[in-house]
Amino acid sequence: MCVRLLQNGAGGQAIIAVLTMACLGSARLCARLGHISARRKTPAAVVDPLVRAAFFKTQACSSSSSSSASATAAPLVAPSASSIAQSYTAKRALGTMHTQHPGSLPREDHAPVDPYRLLEDDLKEIYAGMRQELTINTNQKLLQTISTYYFDGQGKAFRPMLAILMARAVNCHLDVHNGKLLPSQRSVAMIAEMIHTASLVHDDVIDQADMRRGKPSAPALWDHKKVTIAGDFILSVASQMIARLRNPDVTQVLSMVLTDLVQGEFMQLGSKETENERFAHYLTKTYRKTASLTANSLKAVVMLGGADESIADVAFQYGRNVGLAFQLVDDLIDFISNTETLGKPAMNDLKAGLATAPVLFACEKYPELNPMIMRRFEEPGDPERAFELVHKSNGLEQTRFLARKYNMEATRLANSLAESPFQKALVTAADMIINRMK
Amino acid sequence: MSLGTKPIYCVSRAGRFLLNKTNFVQRNAPTVSVLVQGQSFFSTTSIRSNKQAINPRPDWNRAVSEAEKIVGYPTSFLSLRWLLSDEIANIALHLRKLVGSNHPLLKTAKNLLNNGRSSMQAWGLIVLLVSKAAGHKLVDDIEIDKAAGVLHSQRALAEVTEMIRTSNLVHKGLVNIYPGMYPDTDARTMQDMTFGNKIALLSGDYLLGNSCAELANLRNSELVELMSSAVRDMAEGEFVGERDKQNNPLPSPGLTEQDWTLRSVLSAGSLLGKSCQGTLKLAGHGEELQLRGYRFGQHLALAWQACLELEPFTSSAGADGQMPFSLTSAPVIFTLQDDPSLFEEINKGKENIEDVDYSKIHAAVMSGPGIPQTKELQRHHAQKALQELEGFEENDARKALSNIIFAMGEI
Repeated sequence: MCVRLLQNGAGGQAIIAVLTMACLGSARLCARLGHISARRKTPAAVVDPLVRAAFFKTQACSSSSSSSASATAAPLVAPSASSIAQSYTAKRALGTMHTQHPGSLPREDHAPVDPYRLLEDDLKEIYAGMRQELTINTNQKLLQTISTYYFDGQGKAFRPMLAILMARAVNCHLDVHNGKLLPSQRSVAMIAEMIHTASLVHDDVIDQADMRRGKPSAPALWDHKKVTIAGDFILSVASQMIARLRNPDVTQVLSMVLTDLVQGEFMQLGSKETENERFAHYLTKTYRKTASLTANSLKAVVMLGGADESIADVAFQYGRNVGLAFQLVDDLIDFISNTETLGKPAMNDLKAGLATAPVLFACEKYPELNPMIMRRFEEPGDPERAFELVHKSNGLEQTRFLARKYNMEATRLANSLAESPFQKALVTAADMIINRMK
Repeated sequence: MSLGTKPIYCVSRAGRFLLNKTNFVQRNAPTVSVLVQGQSFFSTTSIRSNKQAINPRPDWNRAVSEAEKIVGYPTSFLSLRWLLSDEIANIALHLRKLVGSNHPLLKTAKNLLNNGRSSMQAWGLIVLLVSKAAGHKLVDDIEIDKAAGVLHSQRALAEVTEMIRTSNLVHKGLVNIYPGMYPDTDARTMQDMTFGNKIALLSGDYLLGNSCAELANLRNSELVELMSSAVRDMAEGEFVGERDKQNNPLPSPGLTEQDWTLRSVLSAGSLLGKSCQGTLKLAGHGEELQLRGYRFGQHLALAWQACLELEPFTSSAGADGQMPFSLTSAPVIFTLQDDPSLFEEINKGKENIEDVDYSKIHAAVMSGPGIPQTKELQRHHAQKALQELEGFEENDARKALSNIIFAMGEI
């Protein structure tokens, strides 16, 4: 198998990297790459076995509850994982107690690596960079103000963090670019955040949201037309940045994100599919609205780093699994958080007529949810009734279980890369998502 | 990174500079069809809204029909492929729910289907004609649509041009909903408007997202950058100058022809210019011809703009003041320059341009110097466009382009 891999290697650098790796531990490497190539053709968003497992698992996990599940889900997290989660919610605040030692640590050392701490320098100027890109692209003061409004540095920079982490992890894995982050890779990290923000801006116009990240939303401050056009403007600037990478393959990968985002929005408008198709519909929508951006931007950064198709697929699948887990946890939090912790009221999705994973799982046990889903919780009392039924069912537990499954898959993929602080931080990053739901 | 930006930026600034040197002045309205939406929606009494803004000219229609034959039918992006796409079916489904409301999106859609030929859909046609007029260099045989004499990639670009333009129109057709806009009793209208906005926003995003994907498939980074910068320019155009609560443009004292040119270049000239430049880039032509294409597209768009802005004052339907017009259209701007006292009337529209007495402005334009000056402006840009055409070899496509310019009149 090693021989076959060498023949398939994209370029000289890749071959050297693989050779180096092979010396270190050929058996392990081959085993790892073996399952990667087997996974290569997995379609982006189908109902995977994980979902079936979540349905199947209903009884088992409901009784034994979270203790056993979390043990399987986060084997690599040291007891101090909660402190990382804390620093995560505190938005990259300094003061994590774990110091990262440069150089590779022994495999047995499971000390978690805080990605935000690790990438402090990479992420420091990222919002300023995006604001500058937007500002130099127009002479209109108001357009500058609106388009940079959400780039105030208060966001978590979750997508740039993932992109840079994956870029660095793969640069180390391939042993290229002296372990440095390429300017083009950093650019993709910014592009991912800008595409995400443009979609937030448009979402806020559609939902008429009043608040975003603890401050008035853009449409609450400026008129809808201007805000919509400002969203288009952000997209056009991101698109120019994509073009300046001068890499048609990467351009195609990133342009997929845009079509996925819109198709996801359209899927969210209608829910007329049958009960059997509903979960698949939900997952496809989730992939398109959330996971496509992480999956494709991570794929793009490693392509720019010179990775071959199999590594690009590891990056893609890691991003996809992390993205799906992220959204599942988001959907779960909508049912369990109160307004203080989230900064927005719970039950947003139900009030917006959306049936997310907890509801879809719950209607296995309570079929009376079906008509409510069909009428998009429109009748008075529907959201409250659905909320109650979800809490009575195993819906929340099953959602947690599914999110953990995606997390484990992401962890497995991250562990298929050569060991480095960045590779370890990829594992932590996946765990941080899961830790939000505790 | 900034090095990469420079050339394109220069092109666009050079274009503006070039246009800024011209001697004529005015104000732009996005297109007549947009005006129909904007004004009719808020007028309760206006008869203007019942009239179609586009006045079909026999010469124009003939010139367009002839030209379409040259590049092969169809040039419209409302082709079979589009009508059969899932998302379009989805949009149509949601549009049906809006029927009966007066959300401007319905009018945008109607104008797209009915009047496409006279306004935006001709843009793709222009791009194809420029492609054919210039021919192509060093391109693989398999890439060529033999019957039409253009590359498949150029046809795709023409489609992208129309998608970008339509996306912008649809997004500009959103309704600004603000507190106190509807009385509390009118929950139904509020609901219609909110839903209409949602569909308009998504439809525009759909078109924009697909243009990006189509462009990416052409695998030409310079082209992607060029067209993305055109999208940027159109967005910027929506922020130029004073606006009422619905973002309709208002003139302010001291406006000059440069202001009209800036606005028109941003919201129209840039896209057509860059599309013409881009199609020549795809065909492997050199920088010089590409820039010629850019200038041609821009001048043509401005001539077109001036021509459309004249119609409410010169066409048979417009002469009696029955057609809507923009307060920042060239004839109005010239009239205001001549008689600034008219600002007293204009300023009534600061909240809502519907509060302006349009018949008063119309009468002032009819008796002032605005019409001849706008005609002069149109003639200037039409002549510049024809001049640029001379840089192309003589052929049927070039002939068709000049026919279209002549069909606009005032030459």
